[in-house]
Amino acid sequence: MSTERPTQSDRELWRSLAVDRVAPGQVSDLDFAAWLEGRLSETAAARIEAAVAADPEMRRAALELAEVLGQPLPAAPARLEVRARALVGFEVERRSGRVGFFDWLFAKDQRFAMQRLATLTAAVIIAISGFMLGGGLGESMAQERYASVSQTDTSNELTEFLVSDGI
Amino acid sequence: MTELNQIDLRTLLTGNKRAWDSFVTAAAPLINAVVRRTLSSYRLSEEDVMDAAQDVFVRLCANDYRLLKTYDPARAGLSTWLAVVSRSAAVDHARRRRQANVPLDDVPEASLAVEDRHVEKLKIPQGLLTERQMLILKCLYDEEKDVSEVAQLLKIDAQTVRSTHHKALLRLRIHFQKEPQ
Repeated sequence: MSTERPTQSDRELWRSLAVDRVAPGQVSDLDFAAWLEGRLSETAAARIEAAVAADPEMRRAALELAEVLGQPLPAAPARLEVRARALVGFEVERRSGRVGFFDWLFAKDQRFAMQRLATLTAAVIIAISGFMLGGGLGESMAQERYASVSQTDTSNELTEFLVSDGI
Repeated sequence: MTELNQIDLRTLLTGNKRAWDSFVTAAAPLINAVVRRTLSSYRLSEEDVMDAAQDVFVRLCANDYRLLKTYDPARAGLSTWLAVVSRSAAVDHARRRRQANVPLDDVPEASLAVEDRHVEKLKIPQGLLTERQMLILKCLYDEEKDVSEVAQLLKIDAQTVRSTHHKALLRLRIHFQKEPQ
């Protein structure tokens, strides 16, 4: 890099001048970045350049960033990456997509399709087995009918008994 | 290794852990370099530099990625925007640290200096120089940068910087020669 600098007489001229401090307008990070990349139109760039010329802090920022962005970047310390990764955990992902058991079972996406199918099949088999062990629909209906009939008989017998006693 | 321009921002903003990890891998060298460069003049410890870099990542993902959501790929490249954001965060971090720690004796004299107001200076009238001319003069004289550094900043060639500088000085000389002093 050359170290071309202004001459002494140019420097003296500049020192003798007082540059009016123009209050810099607000420059957003995006505008500043776009200006650094040379993406802005002449008019838009002039606004940023006026702000950068007026504000020494912005000028330093611009010069430093142009320097860093123009160089190959060294690798970051591993510790920095580890700490930064830990900022977002798997629980954030889970929280955003939390679903109930039935939502998961009947989800439309393709993930865990085999597991979902197996769970569903197992649930159906267990339900059918339980039903069969309980005697099925016919037996339970028969039991129900028998219970109601025997209850009616008991009631009739009791009425007859009371009638016979003259109550 | 994932490049910054390959990051799927939409997936990243949903809170996807893998996307965040890829983003960290791609962005860490840039954030580290910008933070180090920014803090080089503040004489902070390595631990402070690491904390400042971590601060950048915290800002990016805080409040459901609010800062990252303000980025617009149509307006600027992600790496340049990240560099700007990282520098702001590093400066804030350094100011907080300085307020908390540094005794007055450690503050450089230049930052405490008061300009000598008795020296009468000639005022540059508004509009005499363009914004670009003014910026180039400020970079060359106030920041003491050389032509190639200014050219790199403005994405123009060194010859353009030289000619803009020359034209600006010529205008100033002509203006102040004409003006009765």
